[in-house]
Amino acid sequence: MEVTFELNGTNRTVDCAPWETLLTLLRREGMVSVRFGSTSGETGASAVLFDGRLVSSEVVLAAQASGHSVTTVESLNVDADLHPIQAAFAVTGAMQSGYSVGAMVLGALALLESDPDPDENAIRDMLSGILDRETAYVKPVAAIQQAAAVMRGEEAEPFRPLIVAPMTDGVHATDHDPDDRPPEGSPAVPRLVPSRDVPSTSVVGHPEVKVDALRLVKGNPAFTDDFEMRGMLYAKVLRSPHAHARIVSIDDSAARALPGVHAVIHHGNVPRVKYASGGQSYPNPKPHDQVSFDDKVRHVGDRVAAVAAETLEIAQEACSLIEVAYEVLPAVFDEVDAISGTAPVIHDEDDTVDIADASRNLVHHIAAERGDVEAALASADHCYEQTFRVHQVQPCPIEPHISVAWLDSDERLVVRTATQVPFHTRRMLAPLVNRDIKDIRIIKPRIGGGFGAKQEMLIEDIVAHLAITTRRPVRLELTREEEFVSSRTRHPQTMTYRTGVNGDGTLVAQEMKLIGNTGPFGTHGYTVQTVAGLRGLTSYNAPNKRFDCEVAYTNIPVPGAYRGYGAPQALFGLESHMEDIAADLGIDPIEFRRQNWTKTGDEMNIAPHLGEGGVLEEELDEYPTVNSDGIEECVAQGARAIGWHRRDDRSWREPADRPHVRRGIGYSHAMHGTAIPFLDMGGCSIKLNDDGSFNMLVGATDIGTGADTVLGQIAAEVLGVPLDDIQVYSSDTDMTPFDTGAYASSTTYISGTAVLRAAEVVRTRLKERAAMLLGIEIPCSIELRDRRAFAPDGRSVSLEEIALDSLHLNEQEQIMGTGSHVSPDCPPPFGATFVEVEVDIETGQVTVGHMVMAVDCGVAINPVTASGQVEGGMLQALGYAHCEEYALDEDGRMLNAAFGPYWIYRADEMPRTDVFLVQTMEDSGPFGAKAVAEIPKDGIAPAIRNALVNAAGTRIDQLPFTPERVFDALQKG
Amino acid sequence: MPRAIAYHRPDSVNDVVALLDDKSHRLLAGGTVLNGDDDPSPVTMVDLQGCGLGGIGGNAGRLRLGAMTTLHDMLNDDRVPTALAGAAQVELPSTLRTLATVGGTVATGDPDSVLVAALLVHEATVELVGPGGSEVLPLTNLLKAGVPASHVITAVEVDCSGDGDCVRESTARTPSDTPIVSATARGAGDGIRLALTGVAAYPVLADPLDPTVGLEPISDFRGSADYRRTLAEVLAKRAVNAVGGIA
Repeated sequence: MEVTFELNGTNRTVDCAPWETLLTLLRREGMVSVRFGSTSGETGASAVLFDGRLVSSEVVLAAQASGHSVTTVESLNVDADLHPIQAAFAVTGAMQSGYSVGAMVLGALALLESDPDPDENAIRDMLSGILDRETAYVKPVAAIQQAAAVMRGEEAEPFRPLIVAPMTDGVHATDHDPDDRPPEGSPAVPRLVPSRDVPSTSVVGHPEVKVDALRLVKGNPAFTDDFEMRGMLYAKVLRSPHAHARIVSIDDSAARALPGVHAVIHHGNVPRVKYASGGQSYPNPKPHDQVSFDDKVRHVGDRVAAVAAETLEIAQEACSLIEVAYEVLPAVFDEVDAISGTAPVIHDEDDTVDIADASRNLVHHIAAERGDVEAALASADHCYEQTFRVHQVQPCPIEPHISVAWLDSDERLVVRTATQVPFHTRRMLAPLVNRDIKDIRIIKPRIGGGFGAKQEMLIEDIVAHLAITTRRPVRLELTREEEFVSSRTRHPQTMTYRTGVNGDGTLVAQEMKLIGNTGPFGTHGYTVQTVAGLRGLTSYNAPNKRFDCEVAYTNIPVPGAYRGYGAPQALFGLESHMEDIAADLGIDPIEFRRQNWTKTGDEMNIAPHLGEGGVLEEELDEYPTVNSDGIEECVAQGARAIGWHRRDDRSWREPADRPHVRRGIGYSHAMHGTAIPFLDMGGCSIKLNDDGSFNMLVGATDIGTGADTVLGQIAAEVLGVPLDDIQVYSSDTDMTPFDTGAYASSTTYISGTAVLRAAEVVRTRLKERAAMLLGIEIPCSIELRDRRAFAPDGRSVSLEEIALDSLHLNEQEQIMGTGSHVSPDCPPPFGATFVEVEVDIETGQVTVGHMVMAVDCGVAINPVTASGQVEGGMLQALGYAHCEEYALDEDGRMLNAAFGPYWIYRADEMPRTDVFLVQTMEDSGPFGAKAVAEIPKDGIAPAIRNALVNAAGTRIDQLPFTPERVFDALQKG
Repeated sequence: MPRAIAYHRPDSVNDVVALLDDKSHRLLAGGTVLNGDDDPSPVTMVDLQGCGLGGIGGNAGRLRLGAMTTLHDMLNDDRVPTALAGAAQVELPSTLRTLATVGGTVATGDPDSVLVAALLVHEATVELVGPGGSEVLPLTNLLKAGVPASHVITAVEVDCSGDGDCVRESTARTPSDTPIVSATARGAGDGIRLALTGVAAYPVLADPLDPTVGLEPISDFRGSADYRRTLAEVLAKRAVNAVGGIA
């Protein structure tokens, strides 16, 4: 049928099918800023202006648009300049991945047209239909406020960090003064508490605009789905309706006979090659318990078959024509039941080895001990035992998993894919498609958020098999429901802490017993539980520690990596446990932690015993120690910002005018890690161009975090140039150096040090060439700054002159350098989290009113992107603690596989979110940096839980704090 | 979404009714429910946008909302009672309330719809056109029996006399989440109207003196039947008290 509509001011008449959505029509017409998030339109990534109103184009039929006008962000891109709204989004750091930024810009455009001076509520209401998993909406709100001011003709306030004076000497605690208030300022502006130990720098530490801002804010082609391939086929996966079943037969004849179908693959025609899908370093942790297509399904949503066809609709229809006969088997979902010895055996095949006890669904038994925990517990003045249960949630990147595979003109396999781990994917994919690594190229374009879900080779093998079979490009994009049921999730766990404490409050022993639920496949099951043990037993000093962990197979949707990687679970248990011990001992909850927390100079005394390379106590000469911490400053800043003293004010906790409400404030302490020592590795190469600029290639995988920007800042600082002069490219396995990928809070620290080294190589050669041009004997006396090389006597030569000389005129050479880095250290960032809550004691409804996190991440290379990381992490952590939860029926079918029933936080309901960046100088990191990405996931859940204790005296040891769970706890007292 | 194998955009209600003879034809209003549905069954879409069913107007204390009035329109029209406008805002986020219509909302009768509850306490009636002509039903009847076959909703009419107190009390996982249970109470000249969501197959009017009598809520992952009943008691009491209580 024909549709005539006005697109960005121009009339268009196009052919479309009756079932086509406005989203697909617009993308077909080249408007790639309009992006898919969910077929229900809930994410708003697809929002456009429809007759001037913001609508999700996923739920509009193309035919409905006939006779109407449609506006996309492309309408603003009339020249190289940015519209004031686009400019404000760039300057304020309001986009991380930028996947949904087009929708936000359009919404702002419509809003400001009707109201040039909207209040914050109006802005948040406009944003209510655009879900963001990254910014916590803090900076988008500020961006729109700034754009509104500019469009009203006012001068924009410069967006730079607010410097907050330190409250402590960095070592000793300070008394909390109720009358002392934090400096006023927008929550969006990074609050930076400087340290005397940090030297001044020109580019590092400054709020530089993201290097990818222009392409994102203009909605230019940037993401996997934005690049067209001629002759592309569409793939669809047939998924299991059963949680556990054997496939008795598959009849694909009707599907193959359907016109437009090019391939149908399943266990009958794809080689059985064992692998583990977790994107981890070689050799991938065992067991390798997966194959591309199996003759058994182990969770609802498991792969059964895949189709490649001319259109998505044909592929979908073909899937419905595949006849599968199942022998349905009993299933098990709970980790404790699964290893009881009476549960159905999930991996009964004979070609999976290295399962600890397959007959008992026990994947791993992990144990580590220092000292003698039993003896210490027996002799301690007090011994506490407490069990916690944590649940299953999803990372929910707004861009679902998407991959496009094709054979290039040399018939090498190329996969453009939304991945956090391009190099691992290349290596892991090779055996599955029976190719050498050299015959595979993985391209990582911009990624619309990952948060761990994309630290997985999730669908690349499917498109690869189909592209090789059909010799055509093949695209596979998951639906939102598939993202829930077949992507990756946070591991549910049952954990028990036992802690021995002396009468004076000193810890003498701490033990964590953990049963981790890894679902039907091992993937990240080993490492996530190990990290849970590491994080759950490192925050506090105790001479005796033990970790005892069983990892269970079950039939739930597959757990894997999710930002925080075991730490949010462990710290919920640990920080709740510590809170309750303090209360029992009658010690202030912060003081009790202070008495025991691991700080500068202390050993991290279980770390070396955990992990695949774990060693025994007697084998170890020296334990790693903490070399920098800003805990006291974090606590002081956070306590002041939340108004910590109010927790003792009964008239505040029990407001007289609202008798059913109780208020409380909770605190939790967090200590995280920075990269995996001796394992995480990053590489970088930098070359000089004719004009004195540089191309920098990194394997590091910017998934929206700002990694490219931060790495560029490090190079620019070393080379004495502005960030503009560094062209950053990441990542492509054919072009860029190796990097393990975006995970384990490693990029700034590991890849950043690789960049530092590569830049130092280039700097050395630049100085030598400058010395030649300036006639200087000692090149090292030369200094690079302001795009020039200066001699000690003040004479200088520009980098452009050096470049032209070295490339064209004298003793020609390409000045370039490479660097790589792997670290023996894992310097911990620290954080203090404070949360204010209200609980309705008649209904159990919990409302979070204010969240504060003060983070010691060493030196924030870019305070805007760093504070954005903390804000986004806190939003995800809030969802984890408060509302998000997989609901499965008794057959393992997910009941809430859409954002409405699952629910992630929207802009119009976020509590105030304040972030403080407390500087410390971590000498092992580039320019003093430690990690920042994951620690904000750790503190919110226990802080809410502890606030509920303060509010209502109720201890709830299970997440999340949904109304009925809290109501039941309140009823029990 | 359902697989639309054909699309019609009739320009009169009579043409719509004629098209509804074919049972595979589905009425398309805003599209947020129908186009957002994952059911892949083939259907023919009958788009109502050409029938002139928009517009807000009325007199004598009744306000007529054309069936294709969007929730966004309701939110931005001063004639719409504040509580109804507020419910339209809460019902859906910004990118969907510009599409969703009042007609579609009552036709769907979502058990959790706070907008339907707000319409109920505003004594809403629904105007329909079918093969036999036009008729008006109380909203409660429509919710109970569903839209009669071959009928199209053309308008929803509400009482807007004395835009008096109307209060919604609700319990949800988060402030903007769809309430597990909500109670909307409105003071009217002859007493209090009370509507509940989350306790039946569709939003229901309840007795302000005994709000949970006869209710048999379902249990689901957001709340058990017992819990929903408890919430209904607590929230109804609060809402009723907030609008002046029972005389």
